[in-house]
Amino acid sequence: MTNTPIVTHRLTKRFGRLTAVADLDLQVERGEIVGFLGPNGAGKTTTIRMLMGFLRPSAGRAAILGARAGDVGVRHRIGYLPGDLRIDPAMTGMQLFHWYGRLRGHRNQRKVDELTERLDLDPSRPFGTLSKGNRQKVGIVQALCHDPQVIILDEPTTGLDPLVQREFLALLAQAAGDGAAILFSSHVLPEVERAADRVAIIRAGRLVTVATVDALLDQARRRLELRFAAPIATSTFDDITGVANAEVHDRIALLAIDGPVGPALRAATDAGTLLRVNPAGDDLEDLFVSLYHQDKDASKDRIEV
Amino acid sequence: MVPVLTHTLWRRRIGVVWWALAVAGMCALLAIAYPTVRDNNELDKTFANLPPSVEALLGLSGGNLLSSPVGYLDSQFFANILPIMLLVFAVGLAAWSVAGDETAGSLELLLANPISRIRVALARFGALILLMAGLTVVCIAALIALAPLTGLDKGLPAGHVAAGTIACALLALTFAAVAFAVGAATGSRSAALGAASALAVAGYVLEGLAQQVHVLHPIGVVNPWHWLLANDPLRHGLTWRTWIPPVVAVAVMTVLSLPRFARRDIH
Repeated sequence: MTNTPIVTHRLTKRFGRLTAVADLDLQVERGEIVGFLGPNGAGKTTTIRMLMGFLRPSAGRAAILGARAGDVGVRHRIGYLPGDLRIDPAMTGMQLFHWYGRLRGHRNQRKVDELTERLDLDPSRPFGTLSKGNRQKVGIVQALCHDPQVIILDEPTTGLDPLVQREFLALLAQAAGDGAAILFSSHVLPEVERAADRVAIIRAGRLVTVATVDALLDQARRRLELRFAAPIATSTFDDITGVANAEVHDRIALLAIDGPVGPALRAATDAGTLLRVNPAGDDLEDLFVSLYHQDKDASKDRIEV
Repeated sequence: MVPVLTHTLWRRRIGVVWWALAVAGMCALLAIAYPTVRDNNELDKTFANLPPSVEALLGLSGGNLLSSPVGYLDSQFFANILPIMLLVFAVGLAAWSVAGDETAGSLELLLANPISRIRVALARFGALILLMAGLTVVCIAALIALAPLTGLDKGLPAGHVAAGTIACALLALTFAAVAFAVGAATGSRSAALGAASALAVAGYVLEGLAQQVHVLHPIGVVNPWHWLLANDPLRHGLTWRTWIPPVVAVAVMTVLSLPRFARRDIH
């Protein structure tokens, strides 16, 4: 018997001959936020829908709060936001929250008021008349308003403006502080970097890596773009400690650094008049892309940012 | 279960009011038009030599005269318009109950709540039965209130009007159960609508043909149209032959489809 709120063990889902998710092992502990990353079609939504019991695993198992995924007995302790949120268009947010409150047997008015205020949502308007961002807020409120111990969100920040996104991430951090186990999928790296304790990266149905965000950042190469006053020798950065890769074109050098940056900069200042040093590209994004391209057949995958 | 049932009723509240108005309006039209038919003996002669298959479908078998209240109501309403109206209403709602809502994508969020799939399905079907009951009551009330105005109640007890209406509602509910069961088992709204409509049309045609083609007689045992038309509840009241087969059919189809719905993937 484990106390881990979200557990999958060799979780597998096949649709006919297509294997959407294969042998997926993942745990989310109490108070932990795990970001679930991957390109479209990698198996994020399939995994989440198995955790919610909408899809039956072809093999392996998924458990929530010690019960088999989909068990009705624990559902009042789960908050869920689907990737494609559909609600009866005639229903207002408030009607939905009341209705779900009755289904969950939970008086939730104070929490609903707090959430709608913090997310700046007008709950008296019918769902069908709301903008995409406001619809998403309705989904977020219904997912969080019963103080669930397990929170599973499929691309929750879709359509939210940056201010609301920040407020939403703060709400997640608060829920995690209260002990909730949170799994949220995304293909937007910065928000995962900001909100998650750990990151699980999935590609073509398989987990590529599970690591803390800090470990990933340590592992990430730093890319630098150096501009010089005059052309420099293409061999300037050969055999310099910490330089994983260097491309020199005329007066510009592109460096990938995987160690201390000092030796590279010393070599640069020796080579000529260094005008500028620019960071090039998102560190973690770079790692993210490289994780996707470990296999040859991964080259067709693209990451949307 | 109750919150899902009441939500379904709430969601359908406007639609069902329109349906009730349409049914009541048809009843009013029938009453208004009756004196013209009653006073025109030529119509009876014209309809006297119809082939039995057409007679059966028109509700004129067994010596019903078009000019009598029973013959008039059967041929103009209870053997065609009323069952078809109720069919369209019930089958559409039944196809939505699971499969339509699932196709629209709005079932998933509901199923994240602490209520089992089977309870959601039963609550939806329960709401369908209540809405059908509402339409049935409106129809019976309208006919009983309006019939005396033009003598359409002559020799026609109110109980038989109720029997005829309930029998039509049971026919509609039977085909609705087909749509519900196929939708719950497969998750496909078009399969649900297609199966129910195809069976309803086929049943209607076969019931007409069976009057002449004797090989087709045995099919009547499982044909909801036969249960309705052959027993003529407007003349004979609600006999067990009229109500037991549809009730059993609805129960069996619903029960058979639910375990599959409980286990399968939600799309």
